[in-house]
Amino acid sequence: MLNWFSLAWGNLVRRPVRSGLAVSGLAASIAVLVCLWSFGNGYRRALNTELDRMGLQMMLVPLGCPYDAAARVLKGQNLDNSLPASVLEAARNDPAVAVAAPLLLAAVPRPRDGRTDMWVGLDETALDLKPWWKTTSGARWFASEDSVILGCDAAETEMRSAGDRFYSPETGQKLQVSGVLERSGTSDDSLFFVPLSTAQRMFHETNRLTAVAIRLRDPTLVRGASERLQKIPGAQVVTMTEMMGTFLNLVGAVRTLSTSVAAVALLVSVLSVFNTLLATVIERTGELMVMRAIGASRAQVFGLITLEALLLTLAGTGCGLVGALLLGPGLEGVVKRFVPMAPVERLLVPSLQIFSATLVMGVAVGVLSALYPAWRASRLHPAAALKGD
Amino acid sequence: MEMASQSRQPGSGIKKYLLSSTGVLLLAAVLFWWRSQGTSQTILFEPPVRVAQSEPLCPWRQPNEDMKRFFSGSTRYQTETRILSGLRAPLAAQLGREPTGDENALLLYRVYAQQTPIGVVLTRRVKGAYGAIELVLAVAPDGHVLGLRLQRQREPENIAAALERPEWLASFVGKRVKDGWQLGEDVGGVSGEARSSAEAIVEGTRSLLVLLSVAEGAPVSNAGHH
Repeated sequence: MLNWFSLAWGNLVRRPVRSGLAVSGLAASIAVLVCLWSFGNGYRRALNTELDRMGLQMMLVPLGCPYDAAARVLKGQNLDNSLPASVLEAARNDPAVAVAAPLLLAAVPRPRDGRTDMWVGLDETALDLKPWWKTTSGARWFASEDSVILGCDAAETEMRSAGDRFYSPETGQKLQVSGVLERSGTSDDSLFFVPLSTAQRMFHETNRLTAVAIRLRDPTLVRGASERLQKIPGAQVVTMTEMMGTFLNLVGAVRTLSTSVAAVALLVSVLSVFNTLLATVIERTGELMVMRAIGASRAQVFGLITLEALLLTLAGTGCGLVGALLLGPGLEGVVKRFVPMAPVERLLVPSLQIFSATLVMGVAVGVLSALYPAWRASRLHPAAALKGD
Repeated sequence: MEMASQSRQPGSGIKKYLLSSTGVLLLAAVLFWWRSQGTSQTILFEPPVRVAQSEPLCPWRQPNEDMKRFFSGSTRYQTETRILSGLRAPLAAQLGREPTGDENALLLYRVYAQQTPIGVVLTRRVKGAYGAIELVLAVAPDGHVLGLRLQRQREPENIAAALERPEWLASFVGKRVKDGWQLGEDVGGVSGEARSSAEAIVEGTRSLLVLLSVAEGAPVSNAGHH
């Protein structure tokens, strides 16, 4: 086996430029393909992780533009209208709903301070949706109706820590700080959280809600639940997958287009390997006939050419993978500038799955492109060599 | 097989070179992969909105109005940052406590009438009873207080009224760093509920004067005209 390997290798390096060009072409297309796969998977994974982190699958918002409303709620911004509290009860009665968490958001502009205080009223179901909530000081839930939990930036700006008093001059509400949240990197960091009933009292929104965040018992129930909840008067449903789907569709379209380009490049590489092997077979016809004459079987000749193709494509695949790893981070920086909601984390994370798939593809390319040249080589007649043709 | 060994001869150098290069590249790739696996970040997304960051340094929110109020004839101001980290010992001696991390530097606003410096404005955030209180302190070139203003606070009405009372704020005017700073004796007194916030303001004002007196001998790290 080692001898056949050495023979195949020797034949390839006998024409280093030709072999090198075939390997380079294949490596370039493999690198592009790996980068595209990794980017696509990384982006999808990051969006899904963000969905999990949000802990909700849909949101009930007041009538109007649903995407604008959902985006405003996610960003912690005020809405122009509100929902009746009865919407919450209706949502909780739906059999598919595991958690329905009411939210009341209120923005209090403080032009003299050059900022806007963002108040969020929650009930304790919010903790089911925000399991990552941790506090740097104090408790992660309200000690009483008149308590407040501060995002870390809000606490830093107001120089508050757990146990301190806090005042809302615009509403006249005196509060006690129950806890200060750890930095999360989200809009939570700059918000003031109070119990829902306190927020409703402070902002004169008795029995009104800005939105209801919903987590389902099973995410696959989203369609049925969405249809039922859509019938609640005065409310409309926005699913998170719809919001994220908009981004994923955009990325998916770009990905399909670039994968097509990569597939064409791969096809050209197959033809290049095919051409290299065919040229080798034609060039070495005499040598192959002598091999047949001194006892090499058709299968052995077929195997030799196939082995050469495999070595060529494996080298190309290996170089392509290395190229993807080395050049990928640079490409990632360029790609991220054009992607909506680009994740902070690295998108090009090599996975064993992608590596294995690429390797299998490399082997397939090798075998496919070797079929005709190997068959042609194996059909050479040994008698022709003995006749001195 | 003899033919095989013959055909190996001319390419054996290239073979060794290619094999060793491939090995090095593969090793580099494995190391790169391993490193990237270990350093993945936990924060996945840029926040959906640019999160309002806290302001570690207290800004000067109304420079034009304050210049008019405290410095008649002022035309412009210039920012200066003084590095005080090398002066912690004299600072501690004058403050009567260890300087905080924020007190390693002092941002001051030097006010000019044309080309003549006519004073300095300093700002500071202090801990009030119900929230942060931001001070704007105007100081004359000889170090006495020209005026004090609370540019931001969120105290309940009765406390806010006591703290913003012109007579109380005026009791700071003319004071120097070496003077007494006892609330109710050296500085005007306030009602019981406003006392803790008032004490924070007195302590903040005195600290600013101490920092300024030490900073005037400290190197300027940068300066900007306004």
